[in-house]
Amino acid sequence: METGLHHQCAPRFRLLDESQILRIHHTALRILNEVGVKVNFQKAVDLLGSHGARVRDKNVVEIPSHLVEEAIQSAPSNVILYNREKEPVMELGGRRIYFGTGTDLPKTVDLVTREIRDTKAGDIVASTVISDAMPNIDFIASYGLPRDIPPGLHYVRCFQLEVENSVKPIFFTAGSLEDLKVILDMALAVAGSADQLARYPFLVQYSEPTSPLTHSEEAVSKLICCAENRVPINYTPALLAGSTGPVTLAGALSVSLAEALSGLVIHQLANRGAPIISGVVATGMDMLRATISYTAPEFRLTHSAYADIFHYYDLPIWGTAGCSDSQFPDLQAGAEYGFTLLNAALDGCNLIHDCGYIGQGFVASPEMIVFADEVIAMVKRYMRGFEIDDEHLAMDVIRKVGPGGHFLSEKHTLDHFMKEHWRPSLFNRENLPNWIKKGKKTVDQKLIEKAIEVLEKHKPKPLAREIKAELDRIWNEAEKKIRR
Amino acid sequence: MDTIKEIYTAVLEGKVEEASTGVRKALDSNIGVSEILNKALISAMDLVGEKFGEGEIFIPQVLWSAKAMQAGMDFLKPLLASSDRLESGKIVIGTAKGDIHDIGKNLVAIMLEGAGFEVIDLGVDVSPERFVQKATEEKAHVIAMSALLTTTMQSMGEVITLLKEKNLPHVKVLIGGAPVDQAFCDEIGAHAYGTDAIDGVRKVKGLLGR
Repeated sequence: METGLHHQCAPRFRLLDESQILRIHHTALRILNEVGVKVNFQKAVDLLGSHGARVRDKNVVEIPSHLVEEAIQSAPSNVILYNREKEPVMELGGRRIYFGTGTDLPKTVDLVTREIRDTKAGDIVASTVISDAMPNIDFIASYGLPRDIPPGLHYVRCFQLEVENSVKPIFFTAGSLEDLKVILDMALAVAGSADQLARYPFLVQYSEPTSPLTHSEEAVSKLICCAENRVPINYTPALLAGSTGPVTLAGALSVSLAEALSGLVIHQLANRGAPIISGVVATGMDMLRATISYTAPEFRLTHSAYADIFHYYDLPIWGTAGCSDSQFPDLQAGAEYGFTLLNAALDGCNLIHDCGYIGQGFVASPEMIVFADEVIAMVKRYMRGFEIDDEHLAMDVIRKVGPGGHFLSEKHTLDHFMKEHWRPSLFNRENLPNWIKKGKKTVDQKLIEKAIEVLEKHKPKPLAREIKAELDRIWNEAEKKIRR
Repeated sequence: MDTIKEIYTAVLEGKVEEASTGVRKALDSNIGVSEILNKALISAMDLVGEKFGEGEIFIPQVLWSAKAMQAGMDFLKPLLASSDRLESGKIVIGTAKGDIHDIGKNLVAIMLEGAGFEVIDLGVDVSPERFVQKATEEKAHVIAMSALLTTTMQSMGEVITLLKEKNLPHVKVLIGGAPVDQAFCDEIGAHAYGTDAIDGVRKVKGLLGR
């Protein structure tokens, strides 16, 4: 018998070793203990104070290390997300990778005219329908920020349009506690009851502290509200090295980690064991243009580093990939999608968002969701590795064919080719004469055609009529209240 | 009719045993040879070719369908009258002189057989003389050649020259392979160029007026 052989190999990647993880972790603990965080929400300050944190200057809280260690212990290692139909579809934990879009893009590259225009409510429906149809898009986000909806109601309308047009879990933003509560009312209407919503969460709220080391009232109030309702939340800072954080990556990482960990402490103090997904963005600010890069190599280094750290904590991890700094879908976007998606997969992040983004988080281009889907399929095949057992070593068929023969007609080939080898659905593999014969189509043309075809043909599973009516009622009420 | 359907499905799904049993069963129940050939074997392979062209099925599946068809053909061959042969073309195939890359050539050969042609495979590194000699001996209708190297594709032209010298204008020449294109085909005076295996079969059918 053969012993000690793993019959499956798969790409593995780690940036930090244990000594490096602990060094950064200890630095974050020192920041929390010695520098503290500003918390602009009295309820959270009181919560921290009553559990042994020191409060100075009214709202600066110095958090002792044991509170952080306890929060890491009490937060769940695995968060299960369900779809709208209460079927478990995502298991956020370990190195399981899931992909979805991002939120809030104010501009959209029009699928037909190719002009960059304001994003509208119809675009939210379109991106939701496309995301619903794409097999490698696991969760839905608003993608756009609709400019034809009054401020304060943006996120409510987005959530409503998403839940009406897809069964997939929803990753959503809210402007404040007020609209978050309206959204949770809608979620409750879909789930049936508060208990059912907590039992079968199909949504993740996205909220962020403000670097450096500040928790705004909006962010923390949403954090606590989600903890209390046991609605999964993603609480992740976005720090700009050199402007809202130290310019050096280790320092930027330590500060952003302190921000994420202090959020985790508040969250777990508010409701021990409530579901939370953690992570950070620590990227550079472009010192010539004052813009934020979503794909800088330094972004990817800190991405890998925090992934290693949260894996060490055994906590669910958020990720960012399938995005580009380019203002238009072009070669740069292609390269950046490939680079970031592979990077995030190798990092083993669980909730990988922003797929389909271009323009540094300002521009939507719906066919890029289709593009991300194709790249994700490719990356997933790579991440699967390959099997190394007798059947896959294929000695029998090698002997049978011998030197100079061919394997095309072998049963072994027929049995394995489908699973062993990935086939693109849009990327070109035609030979030159056939490619010319078929109209010399480049992938960007095919993406647009595919996106338009999906919008024409894909019919998402509709929401029950009575639930839809209830959402309309909640919307009408919110519109009256918030508009006032 | 059910047996015909069974054979058709067996070929479509590349099930060799089923295709062979199906044909025997059909013969036992006195179904006509040409009906089995045309309505089951050939028409199934036509659909296979179509599906392959549409990207719905892949090369290994096409080859197993061809195998299943051949398994059925083995029982029909001895019984075929000359008028029963739907594709009465005979093709001599091989790689160009100096070239031992034969995967593409093998693929074309299998596809041609799958389409019902008789294929004489001369293997690799075939000299122009041998191509022409074999084609003459076998009274072949088509010489099919492939090359992967730009250095070896040149010898294809010599086959055309030889055919002219020997006054064999009825033998048509099909060429293919990665470096070959329509311009080269025109330049050397070959009769057709196939962009891939499926196109090769299509071109042979065209050359033979089918």
